[in-house]
Amino acid sequence: MEKKMRIMVVDDEERFLVSTKKLLEKKGYTVETAAGGAEALDKLIMVQPHVIILDVKMPGMDGIETLVEIKARFPLIEVIMLTGHGTVESAVTGLKSGAFDYLIKPIDVDDLLGKAEEAYRKRRQTEEKIRVAQSRTLTASAQDILRDTR
Amino acid sequence: MKAHAKPIAVPEDYRAKRRIILISMILVTLVPFALILFIGYSTFTASLQRGAVESLQRVVDDHREIIENFLKERRKDLEFIGDAYPYAFLSHTDNLQKIFSHLQKHSKAFIDMGVFDDRGLHVAYVGAYPLIGKSYAEADWFKEVLKRGYFMSDIFLGFRRVPHFVMAITRMENGRPWVIRATFDSYRFNELVEKVRIGTTGEAYILNTQGMLQTDRRSGGSLLDQPGDIIHFPEAAGSVKTFIEKDKKGKDYLYATTWMPDKKWLLVVRQDKGDAFSALHTAVYLTLLVSLVGGVVIIAAAVYLSDRIVLHLETLDQDKAQLEQHLIRAGRLAELGEMAAGLAHEINNPLQVIRNEQALMEILVDDIKKATGSDNEAPLADLADSLSQIRLQIGRCAVITQAFLNFGRQSEPVFQAVSLMGFVPDIIGMVKPKAVNNGIDLTQDIPVDIPDVYGDVSQLQQVFLNLFNNGIDAIVEKHGASGGHLAVTARRATGNYVEVRVSDDGSGIAPEIIDKIFSPFFTTKPVGKGTGLGLSVCYGIVNNMGGDITVESVKNVGTTFVLKLPLYERTRPPTVRVSGRKVTDGAADRISVN
Repeated sequence: MEKKMRIMVVDDEERFLVSTKKLLEKKGYTVETAAGGAEALDKLIMVQPHVIILDVKMPGMDGIETLVEIKARFPLIEVIMLTGHGTVESAVTGLKSGAFDYLIKPIDVDDLLGKAEEAYRKRRQTEEKIRVAQSRTLTASAQDILRDTR
Repeated sequence: MKAHAKPIAVPEDYRAKRRIILISMILVTLVPFALILFIGYSTFTASLQRGAVESLQRVVDDHREIIENFLKERRKDLEFIGDAYPYAFLSHTDNLQKIFSHLQKHSKAFIDMGVFDDRGLHVAYVGAYPLIGKSYAEADWFKEVLKRGYFMSDIFLGFRRVPHFVMAITRMENGRPWVIRATFDSYRFNELVEKVRIGTTGEAYILNTQGMLQTDRRSGGSLLDQPGDIIHFPEAAGSVKTFIEKDKKGKDYLYATTWMPDKKWLLVVRQDKGDAFSALHTAVYLTLLVSLVGGVVIIAAAVYLSDRIVLHLETLDQDKAQLEQHLIRAGRLAELGEMAAGLAHEINNPLQVIRNEQALMEILVDDIKKATGSDNEAPLADLADSLSQIRLQIGRCAVITQAFLNFGRQSEPVFQAVSLMGFVPDIIGMVKPKAVNNGIDLTQDIPVDIPDVYGDVSQLQQVFLNLFNNGIDAIVEKHGASGGHLAVTARRATGNYVEVRVSDDGSGIAPEIIDKIFSPFFTTKPVGKGTGLGLSVCYGIVNNMGGDITVESVKNVGTTFVLKLPLYERTRPPTVRVSGRKVTDGAADRISVN
C-alpha cells in the first residue's frame, strides 16, 4: 500500500462523525467529516478523498442526491452508503447511481474499514486501467489512431 | 387451526333471502304456466263442446234427410201409380195385386194397399185383411185426403199390433176423386233411427206433434209412449235446434231436434251430457295432472335452485368475511412493519454511535494499559470486561433491529416459477448441523416431479428456514438432545396448489394460543431467543403469493404446518396480491390485481 487512503465521513449524527474520525485516525487514516451533503460537496475539492462513507438518510440534501452529485463531479471517488434503515430499495438506487456498496448500521469500525479498503483497491485498479489506456493512446501509431477515429 | 371468520349474515337473513328467491321463482314460472294451461284448457273444451254439438246436429240433419227421402219416395210411388193407371184399372183387386207385388219387390215397407172411390168405399184391396166393401166416408183421414190431396198418419199399432203408418193420395178422374192408400211398416225407419249411436248413450227417436214416440227409444220408451221430456222445437222446417235439458230422472241431456216434413214429426237426437262431453273430462283430468306434475316440478326446481343460490351466497359471504379478516390482519401487519422498520432505524443510529464509542473506549483501555504498565491491572480488566459486555448487548440489539427490518422489508418480491427441489435441500443443509447436534432425524419426501410453485425464492427460503428452525426448537424443547423427527413432505393438491407439510414431534402448541401464533411479536421462546416475528413473516409471505398457511397441533405430540402454495402456470391467472412495498403483507388499501 504505497499511499494511505483519505476517507470522508458524511452523516448528520455529530457524535458519530467525531467517534468515527477518532477511531479511523487511530488506525492511521486521514479522515475528514461533513455534517451534510452540501457541506461534503463544498469540502470535496479541498480534501480530495479516495473513499466517502455516506449516510443515506440525512436532512436537507439526502445521501442519494449527494452521491449523484459526487459521482458527477468526481467519478473516481468510491462511495459506500450507510443506512440505519434496511432500505434495500434506496441501497439499490445507490448502487445504480454508482455507489461501491452499502452497509447497514450498526457496524463495527473494522468492518467499515474493510469495506473502505476494498473500495480503495478498486479505485486504484481503475486509476491503473486509466493510466494504461492513456499510455496506449500516447504510444499508438498514427495508423492505429486513424483506424480508431474512422 | 385457522381462525374462522365470523359469519357476517345471520341465518334469518338467509332464510328471508331464500324465501324471496323461492317465491319469485315460483311466481315467475307458475303464473305463465297456469295461464297457458288455462288458455289451452278453455280453447280445448270450447272446441270439444262445439264438436259434440256439431256431431249431434250432423246426425240429426243426415237422418232427417234419409227419412224425408224415404217418405218422399213412398209418396212418389203412390203418385206414380195414380198417374200411370186409370181408376178403372186399379179398382180391380187382381190388377192392384200385380202392381203391389212389384212395389213390394222394390220396398219391403209396403204392407197393404187399397183403392177407394169418391164415397170412401174400399173398392180394391191387397193385404191380409178382408176390407173390401168397407166405407171410410166418415174417417178423418179420408176427409183430409180429399180435402188436401195427400195424407200421412202418425204411427200406430192398430189391430195388426205392428207399428205402421198410412199414406194416401187423391187423384181426379172425370171430375170425381178417387184415393189410393198404402200401409207401411214403420219398422224400416224405426231401424234407421234406432241404428243411430253416438258415444254410449247417443240415440235418436221421432216424436209426433203430441209428443208421442213414433219409434222405440233405446233408453226406454216404446212406440206411442209419451216420454214427457221437455223438448224445444226448432223455429222453421229444415233448421236444427240444440239445447240441454234434464230428463225426468234429472239427468242432463244434449238435444238436437228438427222437424220432418209438414212439421208432423220431430226427429230428436240426444246424448247424455256427460257422455257427449266425456272428452272434456279427459281434458280436465289431463289439465289437472299436467298442472299437478308441472307445479310439483316447478316448486321442486325452485326449492332446489333457491337452496343452491342461498348456499352459494352463504359461501360467498363467508369467503368475503374471511378475506376481510385476512386483509385486516395484513393491514395490521403492514402498519407494524412500517413502525418496526422506523423504530429499527431510530435505534440503529444511536446504536452505531454507542458502538463507535465502545470501540474507542476499548482502544483507550489498551492505551492506558500500555501507558501505566501493571498498575491498575485489575480495574482495567474489569473495565475491558464491561466493554465487551456492552459490545455483546449492542450485538443483541442489532439482531433485534435487523429482525425488525426484515419484518418490515421494503423489497418488492419477484414472483417466478420456483422448484421446491431447487431450494428445500439447501435449507435442510443449513439446519442440518443444528439438527444433528440435537440428534434430530430430518427427512424430506418431495416427489421429483412436483410441479413448480409461483413465488419469490428468497421469501420461500425464509419461510422454510423459519419453519424448520421452529420445528427443531420444538423438538429440542420436548426431547432435549435425545432426538426426534422433523419431516417435510410435498404433494400436488387440488385446486392448483402444492401442499407442503412440515411436521415435528416436538412440544406442540397449546390450543389456547394456537390462534395467536401468526400474530407479530407473539412468542413462547424465552426473552432474547425469539422476536415473535418469524411466523407472522411466514404468514405474510405465503399469503402474499396467493397461498395459505395453517397449523395443526396437539400439545406434547407434535405440530404440522400446512402450506398451500399456488402452482406456477404458463398463463398465470391474476391473483389478488398485496403489493409488498412497505411490508410483505401489504395493507388493505394497497391491493393490486395483476
